[in-house]
This record gives sequence, C-alpha cells and structure tokens, in this order.
Amino acid sequence: MSLAEIRNITAGYDKENVLENVSFDINCGELVGVLGANGSGKSTLVKAVSNLLPHNGNVVVGEKTIENLKPYETAGIISYIPQHSGLNIDISVLDVVLMGFNSKLKILENPGREMLERAKATIELVGLKDKAESNYLTLSEGQKQLVILARALVSDGKLLVMDEPESALDFNVRYKIMSLVKKQIQGENRAGLLVLHDTTLALNNCDRLILLKDKKIVGIIDLHNDTIESAEEKLSLIYGEISLVKTAGKTGRESLIMICDSEGV
Amino acid sequence: MRNSTNSVTTKNNIYLSIGVIILITLFCCSLFVGKYPLSLAKILQGDELQIKVFMTLRLSRAVVGLIGGFALGISGFIYQTIFRNPLAAPDIIGVSSGASAGAAFGILFFSGALSVTLCSFGGALVSVGLAILFSSLDKTDRKSTVILAGIAVHSLAQTFLMILKTMADPEKQLASIEYWIMGSLNGINSHIIAGNLILCAACLAVLFLLHRQSLLLSQDEAEARMLGVDVSKMRFIILIVSTLVVSSVVSLTGLISFVGLLAPHSARKLTGNNSAKTMFLGGIVGGIILLAADILARSVAQTELPVSIFTSLIGAPFLVLLIFRRRDKI
Repeated sequence: MSLAEIRNITAGYDKENVLENVSFDINCGELVGVLGANGSGKSTLVKAVSNLLPHNGNVVVGEKTIENLKPYETAGIISYIPQHSGLNIDISVLDVVLMGFNSKLKILENPGREMLERAKATIELVGLKDKAESNYLTLSEGQKQLVILARALVSDGKLLVMDEPESALDFNVRYKIMSLVKKQIQGENRAGLLVLHDTTLALNNCDRLILLKDKKIVGIIDLHNDTIESAEEKLSLIYGEISLVKTAGKTGRESLIMICDSEGV
Repeated sequence: MRNSTNSVTTKNNIYLSIGVIILITLFCCSLFVGKYPLSLAKILQGDELQIKVFMTLRLSRAVVGLIGGFALGISGFIYQTIFRNPLAAPDIIGVSSGASAGAAFGILFFSGALSVTLCSFGGALVSVGLAILFSSLDKTDRKSTVILAGIAVHSLAQTFLMILKTMADPEKQLASIEYWIMGSLNGINSHIIAGNLILCAACLAVLFLLHRQSLLLSQDEAEARMLGVDVSKMRFIILIVSTLVVSSVVSLTGLISFVGLLAPHSARKLTGNNSAKTMFLGGIVGGIILLAADILARSVAQTELPVSIFTSLIGAPFLVLLIFRRRDKI
C-alpha cells in the first residue's frame, strides 16, 4: 500500500532546475534510499519532499498534500533529520528530544509527564540512557545524530526523511542508525526516505533505491526482486564502471558490496 | 542519573536564591544611597520631606534599576537565542542606539514623556527591522552576519542622532538629548514610569511563556520548521515583544551598555543550560548589575556619573574575553 506519492517534482536554486519532473511512490513499511553523484539533486529532492524548498509538483502523504499544510501540520506527518543539526546552545539531551513533541503542543503549552516519559524511553532506545541530562553540545557527532533521530522518532511523522544522516558518522553508528530506522518503520503506517552517501549501507538496508542523474530518475532498484546484474547495470548509470559482489561475513550474513572497476581520474 | 538531575536542580535553585538575596539587598541599598540622606526611622516617624524624597525619587529609581536590569538581561537572552549568536544583545545589534535616536527625535519634535517613549520604541523597531533586512542580504548562514548588520545599524542611528543634535536648540533640547544618551537612572519620577513598567512586565511575561519557542528558533530554520514552527511569524512576534521590552526600559533610562550581553552569559555560565530558570537568573543578574552600577554612579564622585561608565567598565573586557573564548561560534 502506498504511503506517499511524489508527483512531478521540479525544483532548484536561483531559477536553475536541479530536478525535473521526478515522480515515485513510497510504500508503507518501506525504506527508500536516494543515490546519485554530488550535485545530482539528492538533497534538493528531500528538501522539496519536506516542503523546505519552493517547487512545482506535489507530495501526498496519506490523503494530505504537503504543499497545502502549515508547518505544524507538516511536522506531524514528516519527521526530518538534517545532515547536521544547527543546534549550538547549551541544552540537555532530554530537552532536545522534547522538541520533537512541538507539533502536538499548543504554542504556550509545555510537554507533560507522558511526553517526558516517552522522551526518556526513546533516548534509552537509541542507547543514550546515561546521557539524558548531559549537555547536547558535549556529545560526539554520532551521539548528536542519535539524539536528533530520537527527536524525529517522538514526533511520530509517518514519513521519516533523512538527508545523508550517516555522512559524519563512524562505521558502528551508521549501522546503528540504519537498524533503528528499519525497526521504527516496520509494521507501522510509516516509511523512510533517505539520501545516502554510503552505497554499501544503502544496498544492504534499503528496500528500494532511487538513482538520480542529470535532474531525473535514471533507475529504480528493487533490492528484494532485482537480480545483481540488473542492479549493477542501473548503478553503473550513475557511478560508471562498477561491479556488485555478494559476500558473506563470519556469521554467514550476506552483503552486497560495490567495487569501482575503473582506474578513476 | 536521578541523583545527578536533582543535584543540578538544587545547585541552580541555590544560585537563584543567592541572586534574589543580592538583588533585594542592592534594591534596599539603592533606596537609601544618594545626596539627600534618608533614614528609615524618620520615614517611619512620618517626616514629610523624607517620605516625599523616598516616594517620588528613590523608590521609582530603585524600581527602574531592578526591573530595567532584569528586562535588559531577559531581552539579551532572547536576542542571543533567536539570532543564534552569543554576541547579540540590544546595544550590540543597534536596538539601543536606534531607541536613542528615536528618543532624540521625540525630544526635538514632540513634548511629553509618552511621545519620547513612543519615538524610542519606533527607533528600536526600525533598528531591529534594518538589522534583519541587512543580515537577510547575506544568503550564507554565517552567524556573524547579524552582528555586522547591527554595527551598520548602530552607525546609521549615530548619524541620524548627529543630524538631530545639529538641529537641536543648544540651550534646552541638546542638553536633554546628551543627558538621555549618557544613560542614567537619575531624574526618573514616579509619574512617568507606571505605563512603561506595566508594558515591560507584560512583555516579559509573554517572553517567558514563549521560552520554549525561542529555544526552537535557536536552530537552523529548516530544522525549526520541520518541528512545526512557523519560523518567520514566531521570530517576528518574539523580536517585537523583546524590542518592546528594551525600548520601554531605554526610553526611561537612556542608553545602558552591556547589561544585555553580560547578564545572560553569566547566568548560563552558572547553570550550564538555557532553561527558563536560566533565563530568569539572567534577569536577576541584569538587575544586580544595573542596581550596583547605579549605586556606584551616585556615590563614587561629587557629581553623579552616567551609569553606563560602570556597566561598560565590566562589560567591555567581558566582550573581548567572549570573542576570544568562543571565536568558533560567533
């Protein structure tokens, strides 16, 4: 069942289009990754979907058209995780997570006990129980991103939108975030749209991959049904000469790895 | 964890209590310091002159020192939070000099305290508007932009002020403009302060109610928007209310430097966070600084000195220290 419909999105900066007529659907429980070279419009796509950028076309989540909504209505439908949070004031982790409830509160209302308990439980879920009272600014980049993830989770948006959430993170935290996101969107009326830099992470965690090049979608990979050869062919449209290799680790868990076949420039 | 939370809360409550005690002590000192010696015993005995001096001069002066300092501390806290810059303060982003130019305009072309207040508010509002307009011309997200815009606004306001001074009657108006600009709690009488203080108190209450929204505005615009904040509208409301706070004080006291910068930083340094309690502590520290500076201004020399001399003596080195310590965030 489709959760979100992205229809004919055209967007850009300073009158120059970075995306033209991009359309695709996101199904319930599905994690959709967006891949593309630098400047291919990946961030523009998630910003347009979140209505953070003026664009043509529309995004329908559930029965609501995002472009017609006020910010507090959008916040209840889309949870957005930026590449880096711009928070730079001394504030406790708990208070950062409590910000996620904003769309459920009136302007002058403060979070109640129930919200406080849920925020604490979510901080525990992302593995930062001991840091709830710590100053957010003193955390590592990985821990900060986990706090921002916790904040997005409590806001209960149906569509979790993430813009390169893994770019500044080390290996372990990347996988931790992916695993948390996958758990959150499963079995609920939720889905995720992620721009990813790390292709290995995308190939092994997403359900489908949207491939962007030259302002449009050049291919969509269904990671459950497409053959390796077909995925390889589509990925080579954006990355050039590459090979996909399926390999298994010590535990026998299989993973797809992308290898660059050209010498590079 | 619970223990550590409790100990932090206890520690912050102790800071607040100590702050309130110092503030009340200074308030009482402020009532009895000045050229004309007052004694509590004589006031209680019903000495008419003593009661008159106490009621019309001292009490209003001490009340303005307390509420004015508190208000400058709170508005500094709000400006720093929503402009996302630790250097933002009413006097640094040009709001106070805009209010001064407005007040000079009022002294020159209108009469009465109310019109000076209104003109001062108009000047402050135009300054905030210009600071936002100038900083919006820079499309990058640099945090220093608003400070640079503030410097430009400050220069513009000073130029306007100079023009007004050349137009002023040197016998009467020029003197009152100069006196006003120097900043002083002297000459404040009980008849003119009530309206300003009621306005100031009401706006301060609104700022406390909007504290959670101010914190939401302290992040990138996209982030705040995706948390459901109508960023432009909310920033506009909070800025108008805090500018109203500044002008309601500045129109009574004239230009007072650095309180809005010093007070919130000192409070944050003590509590280590930006909670509503810290905001309140920022107000308390502001009140302490202004009352102490005013007591010094009328007791260290034969003639009364401008209060900004003392606030600047502490504030300027503090500003330099802040620039060196937090260079990355400015």
